[in-house]
Amino acid sequence: MSDKYAVLPCNGLDKCAGQMTKEIAMLLCEGTQNEMICPVFYRVADARYDKIAKENPLLVVDGCGTRCASKLAGEKGLKIFRKMTVTEEAQKRGVTLPTDTLRLSEKEIALCTAMADEFIKEETAVPEQMVQAVEFPAPAEYLIHKKDKFIFRVPTEGFYFSENDCWLQVVGNRARIGITDFMQQSLSDIMFFTPPPVGVELEQFDEAGNVESGKAVFELICPVSGKVVAVNTELLTAPERINENPYEQGWVAELELTNFDEEKDFLLNTADYMKILKKKVDEFHVNKQKG
Amino acid sequence: MSEDKDTFMGVPRDTIDWKPTIDYEKCDYCMECFDFCPHHVFEKRENEPIKLVVANPLNCVVFCRACSKTCGPDALTFPSKAEVSKKIKETREAMSSHE
Repeated sequence: MSDKYAVLPCNGLDKCAGQMTKEIAMLLCEGTQNEMICPVFYRVADARYDKIAKENPLLVVDGCGTRCASKLAGEKGLKIFRKMTVTEEAQKRGVTLPTDTLRLSEKEIALCTAMADEFIKEETAVPEQMVQAVEFPAPAEYLIHKKDKFIFRVPTEGFYFSENDCWLQVVGNRARIGITDFMQQSLSDIMFFTPPPVGVELEQFDEAGNVESGKAVFELICPVSGKVVAVNTELLTAPERINENPYEQGWVAELELTNFDEEKDFLLNTADYMKILKKKVDEFHVNKQKG
Repeated sequence: MSEDKDTFMGVPRDTIDWKPTIDYEKCDYCMECFDFCPHHVFEKRENEPIKLVVANPLNCVVFCRACSKTCGPDALTFPSKAEVSKKIKETREAMSSHE
């Protein structure tokens, strides 16, 4: 927990959700040491905010899925410590945001207050169950595929893969999941990690959290069913571990498996994933050349 | 392109109903999804009233919804994952019983 945050709202003026980010940022800064970054001025004058942004954990408040504040953070090479998106929160809480006015009514102000309060509350409570319990061995060896200057690695043993570029490492009735080296390179620098909630029961192919880079948001598609028993809390402050070491330090969550024997038929071994990876790399390469 | 993507999890891709649907009431033609999707699922129609279409649904990566996260006005929707995965499993079972 930190005493001071840099708060970067998108401050989108053409949508109610964007207007709300300013309100949330003000609520987070009033009466605290937190400092607000003006996204408009920051875009044209690095010097004004660089020190605040780089020396304090950064909280990003986006209005909608366009993610202007997150993208600005990406352009400035900043790591996002926490983020919230107004439209997502509104949806979660069953609040419909107006489309015919930009003025905030009591209902929108109440949502802003609730979001700011929740952030402060979450900051003071770190869930204790976010710990790892089982030892997962490091991959002994990797199969390698090279394309131009890129090198893609796939562990040779002990791992399963999905066609959605997630991996699974099984020890007893526990498994770790994460994203593959190919996917982390496709995303490039990962700035933010949203873990799946600990304790939640996931069905095969449910969303198991997401990671966000300057380029895109990647939804982790859970390769198997299971109960989330731990998440990699280190990624909350160091999501770049996924880029640096996707199969070990970059693990995302640990599951207690519920239907593995049946579901493993839908997973790939190293050789089969490598075939798919090569196809994807070639396609990506062709598309890049076309684009 | 689609000939390289003819199966997903061993099931013919064209039996899997997974693609984005554009809500034209919400879409503001910002083209973020078009720019984002590396699989050319979307195509622009610059001289037509509807300027963006899902032209290559079979190129869409099954269970991927990444384009919808780039959509500011929240105009892209996908089918239910649970239903689609159930259908894939059923197709696989039917295929293996015919082998």
